[in-house]
Amino acid sequence: MRVILKTRPRAKPKIPIEAEEIIPQNFLRKNDIRVYEGNKERALDDLFFVTYEGPAVSPDQVEIVLTGDTGVIKRVGEYMNAGRIIIEGDIGMHCGNFMSAGEILIRGNADAWLGREMRGGHILCEGNSGHYCAAGYRGEKRGMRGGIVEVRGNSGDFTAEYLSGGEVIIHGDCGDLPGVEMRGGTLVIGGDCSRPCGNMTGGTCMIFGEAHKFLPTFRKNGTDDIVYAGKHYLMNLFRGDVANRGKGTLMVRQ
Amino acid sequence: MKIEDVVCSFCGCLCDDLVVEVEGTRVISVENGCTLASEKFLGDHRLKTPIRRDGNSWTKISYDEAIAETAEILLDADRPLLYGWSGTFGEAQSVGVHLAEILGAVIDNTSTVCHGPSILAIQEVGHPGCTLGQVKNRADVVVYWGANPVDAHPRHMSRYTTYCDGFFRKDAFKDRKVIVVDVRDTESSILADEFVKVNPGGDYAVLSALRAIVRGKRGIIPPEVEGVSREQLFRVADICMSAKFGAVFFGVGLTMAPGKNKNIRNAIEFTEELSRHTKFTISPMRGHWNVYGSNEVFTWISGYPYAVDFARGIAFYNPGETTSVDILKRGECDACLVVASDPGAHFPKECAEHLARIPTVQIDPHVNVTTHLSRIQIPVAVAGIDAEGTAYRMDGVPIRTRKLFQGQYPDDFEVLEKIYAIVKEAKG
Repeated sequence: MRVILKTRPRAKPKIPIEAEEIIPQNFLRKNDIRVYEGNKERALDDLFFVTYEGPAVSPDQVEIVLTGDTGVIKRVGEYMNAGRIIIEGDIGMHCGNFMSAGEILIRGNADAWLGREMRGGHILCEGNSGHYCAAGYRGEKRGMRGGIVEVRGNSGDFTAEYLSGGEVIIHGDCGDLPGVEMRGGTLVIGGDCSRPCGNMTGGTCMIFGEAHKFLPTFRKNGTDDIVYAGKHYLMNLFRGDVANRGKGTLMVRQ
Repeated sequence: MKIEDVVCSFCGCLCDDLVVEVEGTRVISVENGCTLASEKFLGDHRLKTPIRRDGNSWTKISYDEAIAETAEILLDADRPLLYGWSGTFGEAQSVGVHLAEILGAVIDNTSTVCHGPSILAIQEVGHPGCTLGQVKNRADVVVYWGANPVDAHPRHMSRYTTYCDGFFRKDAFKDRKVIVVDVRDTESSILADEFVKVNPGGDYAVLSALRAIVRGKRGIIPPEVEGVSREQLFRVADICMSAKFGAVFFGVGLTMAPGKNKNIRNAIEFTEELSRHTKFTISPMRGHWNVYGSNEVFTWISGYPYAVDFARGIAFYNPGETTSVDILKRGECDACLVVASDPGAHFPKECAEHLARIPTVQIDPHVNVTTHLSRIQIPVAVAGIDAEGTAYRMDGVPIRTRKLFQGQYPDDFEVLEKIYAIVKEAKG
């Protein structure tokens, strides 16, 4: 089944919409789906033109397509455990929070906290992602725990903060402190970044661009020839963060 | 009439030894206060009556009209923002949180532009703090990091640290070592025994290096870290480790530097590391008078210290998303109530522009920058001068402030209670 949600014009288009109920399993039985516009509770129909195409007998067979002014819609795909969501433009904060399976494709940019505390599944963002991509909530000790978040563009500050498992791949540049407090999983940065992996205790971070303002508390551990995505790279190896008795691995391309 | 032991209502020190002379409804003189306190008590730029914007001019209106229109604006909004709160007392802040809850509004205080990152760090790793009394009586090493107390908290050094003798520090000026860490020379750095000049944005790396040194990993430290020599880092670490009681005070120079809450987390973990060798504590230099109180009151009621979003009927908190600067910058809110603060003077330009676009109401005794962005302003009594209530000092000690004279203005609590009553009746 394909569900197409096209945003309706709104009098106050900048007021965020909270739509954690937009996940495939909720459309299987065409539940009464409610969303919030600011402090007002709305029916899905109030804010979207909704079109259903074809049948589905399980959430795996449900594909949701979001189009229109989607950049202010928050929490789409929260707790998603099957199916597919395609966002034709930008998406608001917290897309894919806690998702455990399924796939989210974002053709535009994603706002902050993309894939927050994600457990499994796959998120592909073809544009840029905001701050705290694949990170944890405030005060949480663990961020993303499983699955894959892939961003074709750049990512903001604090990317993969508290990363505990899974793989985060940023093809472009990252902002400040990617992989800060990282304790597991793999973070791959295709471009440049600043102050990577502060206070990390575990996991692996690979940087294929420049690592600016490299922290003084990583111990040089030789070099290694690695194969990534079918290509050979000579990487400088570091262990740290020594300030935290960390045993993480940080690799920076020579 | 001279009134003794008056509590100052300017900064987070809440100095409680002021002597204020009052004549009728005017303050004539202030003794023991710093320049900032004198300005606060003697300042005379109060708005006389409520005003409403009328095209390019202002119209005087009654309190009842102003309150009714404010309630109407807030009731009409889909995403109202209630901002400020740090310049008023706890009782009024409490009404504010209840008002936000009933409206489904976002309520935020000035922590959002000062020590919000400190709170985020404390939520991650805790707060090994103490009262200012402990520092005064025990500390032999004091570190000011990203703070300039001589200018921002002028009596902090004379009441609690450098110039103040304590029970175990009989000759404080000689007994205490003062370390100042900052990106530039300041009035405070001149007074330091050790001044550590860090490159702008380099605090995180310096703190990481100090943590490694205290952990015994001196060999890893490069010759220079963010403008600070390895020798000076070793010296600072040695001073701290050999202290009997050390106290770190940090200011917005650290909270608002790149890395924000991670800087504070690193500073807290440095403090914890030092506490394996000796006793060390860390405390924020809270600036706005009762900002600590606003964190306390918000937390009692909602569970969160600032940036609390009640849009869904329950409290949600996520600085970066629900903080007022972010909400205004994104143009989300469609009405704003400003209480006891001046965001027009302190927020980024695009935030001030959005405040001017939407119906903004200000409850404040004085004409300030926000007045020029507002639709309505309601003048009130000044907390600690002609209004009494409870405020919190920067170390979390609650202090009752007194009313020095009976003025002509209602206080924040009375005005907010009336707005709350109208909103409650409308909401049923």
